[in-house]
Amino acid sequence: METGRREALRYLGYGIGEADGEILKLLCECERELQETADCRFLMREFPLVFTEDGKVDGGCFQTDSKSLRKNLAGCERVLVLAATLGAGVDRLLARYGRLKVSKAVVLQAASAAMIEAYLNELCGGWRAEYEKKGLYLRPRFSPGYGDFPLACQPQLLGGLEAAKRIGITLTDSLLMLPSKSVTAVIGVGKTKEPCLLEGCEACGKKDCAYRR
Amino acid sequence: MGILEEIRSRRVFFDGGTGSLLQAQGLKPGELPETWNLLHPERIVRLHLDYLDAGSDVLTTNTFGANRFKFKKEDGFSVKEIVTAAVKNARAAIRRAGHGFAALDLGPTGKLLRPYGELEFEDAVTAYKEVAEAGTKAGADLIIIETMGDSYEMKAAVLGAKEGSLLPVFATVTLDEKGKMLTGGGVEAVTALLEGLGVDGIGLNCGLGPIQLLPFVRQMASIASVPILVNPNAGLPRSQNGQTVYDIDSDAFAAAMQEIALAGASLLGGCCGTTPEHIRKMRAACEAIPLPEITDKERTVISSYSHAVTFGGRPVLIGERINPTGKPRFKQALRERDLTYILNVGAAQQESGADVLDVNVGLPGIDEPAVLEEVVKELQSVLDLPLQLDTSNPEAMERAMRCYNGKPLINSVNGKREVMEAVFPLVKRYGGVVVALCLDEAGIPKTADGRIEVAKKIYKTAASYGIGKKDILVDALCMAVSSDKNGALTTLETVRRVRDELGGKTVLGVSNVSFGLPMREHINAAFFLSALWNGLSAGIINPNSAAMMAVYDSFLVLTAQDENCGRYIAAYAEKEAEKKRERAEKAQRRSESGMAGAGNMPGPKGLAGGTGQPDVLVKAAGADGEFPELRRSILRGMPEAAGRAAEAALAAKDALELINKELIPALDEVGQGFEAGTVFLPQLLMSAEAAKAAFAVVKERLAADGSEQKKRGTVILATVKGDIHDIGKNIVKVLLENYSFEVMDLGRDVPPEEIVKAAVERHAPVVGLSALMTTTVPSMEATIAALHKDAPWVKIMVGGAVLTKEYADSIGADAYCKDAMASVNFASSVTESK
Repeated sequence: METGRREALRYLGYGIGEADGEILKLLCECERELQETADCRFLMREFPLVFTEDGKVDGGCFQTDSKSLRKNLAGCERVLVLAATLGAGVDRLLARYGRLKVSKAVVLQAASAAMIEAYLNELCGGWRAEYEKKGLYLRPRFSPGYGDFPLACQPQLLGGLEAAKRIGITLTDSLLMLPSKSVTAVIGVGKTKEPCLLEGCEACGKKDCAYRR
Repeated sequence: MGILEEIRSRRVFFDGGTGSLLQAQGLKPGELPETWNLLHPERIVRLHLDYLDAGSDVLTTNTFGANRFKFKKEDGFSVKEIVTAAVKNARAAIRRAGHGFAALDLGPTGKLLRPYGELEFEDAVTAYKEVAEAGTKAGADLIIIETMGDSYEMKAAVLGAKEGSLLPVFATVTLDEKGKMLTGGGVEAVTALLEGLGVDGIGLNCGLGPIQLLPFVRQMASIASVPILVNPNAGLPRSQNGQTVYDIDSDAFAAAMQEIALAGASLLGGCCGTTPEHIRKMRAACEAIPLPEITDKERTVISSYSHAVTFGGRPVLIGERINPTGKPRFKQALRERDLTYILNVGAAQQESGADVLDVNVGLPGIDEPAVLEEVVKELQSVLDLPLQLDTSNPEAMERAMRCYNGKPLINSVNGKREVMEAVFPLVKRYGGVVVALCLDEAGIPKTADGRIEVAKKIYKTAASYGIGKKDILVDALCMAVSSDKNGALTTLETVRRVRDELGGKTVLGVSNVSFGLPMREHINAAFFLSALWNGLSAGIINPNSAAMMAVYDSFLVLTAQDENCGRYIAAYAEKEAEKKRERAEKAQRRSESGMAGAGNMPGPKGLAGGTGQPDVLVKAAGADGEFPELRRSILRGMPEAAGRAAEAALAAKDALELINKELIPALDEVGQGFEAGTVFLPQLLMSAEAAKAAFAVVKERLAADGSEQKKRGTVILATVKGDIHDIGKNIVKVLLENYSFEVMDLGRDVPPEEIVKAAVERHAPVVGLSALMTTTVPSMEATIAALHKDAPWVKIMVGGAVLTKEYADSIGADAYCKDAMASVNFASSVTESK
């Protein structure tokens, strides 16, 4: 699977610059260990989507009054709810190097964050093509924490997918996902093709971020 | 007849899925099915009755998620209410049908256990115990723990079940298509763990269908000594119009379950997607298949969370280095709670080829039970090797066995009555293989005959506790040959006779034999080889010793235990090549010096770290400082080269001066580059690690000279309560240590009281707190307030993704540190102003 090296370097602070040989060597080593360790799994379910009179978004297994999600899903009648994870082994690897070699832990953090993104892109690409055959178009993926889409929706999203039981994603009391390299998101399904798909950094309002692409 | 007699007399069938059938009756996505025990008891009883009518003998109560983390009295239902109602519903159905058993169902808590999650192991045990107590009181006949993906949570559930109830316990885990649990363990590891804990039946459920589970059932049947229960899904799930559907029908399910029964499963049922129809057809297809014979497989096996190690095949290597005896540096690490040092000792042994790590932290003046528990938890969070818990303190042994994630090796018991009475109940309760020393009240027998007698006595006493011979490793004991010339011969005879006459397994602490002699490695290696030839099952050795490993690797080749000599070649081919290279280089140098006629000797090998630069230690001051290799290896982040360069530099320079004139300036240079944005975080850390390696060499010299480097004061670091993101804190730690601060790392998710306590005890001038989440900043604020109250002298620096200068000011911190260098600068400014 694609590991997203460019993204990993961006997370490490290199922006569009090049890293030197030692760092690249370390990054390659991390990518190799991740490929061996990561146990990529996902769940996806399609739900009917309803915009209620009082301004709420009802995605079948979750309800929220997030305005930014409402905007993101405008015009859609169905929604895909998804969760993906690199698995518990990656957290073990991160913990191991966090104790034994911090420089490697930092690079591993970046590489694994890039890997889960790449994994999601791959999955979404597949679904996009599948749905287009049916004349349906997918909106950009939107995760709790983007805009005002609250983390409080995490239990509903994960519950609706039975994610704890099926792929082992659990939540902490402060609603963080464990294993840490896990993502939940919703994707609107619309009948019209949006002219321009803005995702990730390009869709973000914070223009002065050090990690902006 | 009780369930345990029933399953030995005939084939017993469990029920099938619950969740999917309740959804068909109107359970909404996200709605908790357990609430229906109270809201719609008639529907639950109906479901149970349908299964009993279809031929199920055992009903699983609707309590999969009934635990204190999901149900709280204030939200409407208490755990006790739910569990009691669920068991009552099952009992009502059994009464109406006139047959059946009620199995109290325990599923995962939905929380991840520490160290990867937040849930304390003991809190998980308590939660399961609560359900077991309520279910038993309400009239359950047995307990089934199921759909477990984490071996540690499984252990907590079994302990909770057994501590809250005397009912029979069955336990099944969920595997992926590779045969692994979510946390990585396979069939062998989980079988070892569960049999060690003394459950009445083990098995597999959920996750996969019967076709995919078949090979794993076969594997389990070949090693398990208890009945096997298999409850598969109705095939593999897929999404159809937003609904989860399963890919095989009841006929295909029944046919596949026949295979499962023939593969060695005694008890059969279904999980997600299966219905009363699946059970009916399965029963019809499988009822006539004779029960498999349940035999004791006599396997001597221990496990970690990830894998099992068996004794009796390839001799097992137990690394002996995690032990303070005779190791000043290790003692210091224990006293200072420097767990990273201990982890590194463990990691190095694993790299050298150890199969198991002995863990001994016995040191006068330390709280051994607390420290052993802490060290075991740390080791098992970072390394995947099984551990040998080495202590003579029964309290330490119990605490370590309890928190250990697997089936441990225990070191040790002996023939003394008092010791056996203390150790065997623990082995029975938590599971384990125990090292049995051949000595008793009369001391160590002088002859092999005497030691065999003690071994027999230990076997016999163990059996009276229900512990089989398979769970004992006889330690034939080895006396120093310098004091007893027949010592080794007696030991070897004992090893051989335990194998031949008693059919037992053996272990030896090998290194003792050479006590009092020079070049001990010679004797150790020769003795180790002799013991291996006499049938030794496991050696407690130093795996970092090349001589010991050479003997071991050669033994495997000579006894046809190394297929195609693959292991040997992998270990030594590179060394052979290196030897040839060295010889060639030497010849080359000889011929060159012959030509030049001058002693142009190169410096120590490899200083430039394979960059192709000449390996010459240029001793000239300049831009590169006095020791350019040292500076360069730090700047480029090469720990080994830095260590060697420091070693070489020490020949010419005083240790303290080397720190101040070379190491610190090199570090400063990297730090300034980082601040200027020309050096990036990974490079900064690699340099820090290289400097650390150089410091280690210098410090050793200082220690040998009886002096030490002046510390710049203690800094206490912690990631605040509620937050488990500690990488930032770990980065700060590495840099602070480089700059000679004494760092006390309290870890992550640390409550304010603990931080205050440490600050007061150490009278620390600086405390550093990290938090990543907006949700945990309040916890940081509370910690700061507590520190201001009880440790008013402390300066507090904070950092983490969500913090800003303004935010830090508003919660009362003394400094906001945007990165690790800023933390070093702040801590320096505080300690220098004092």
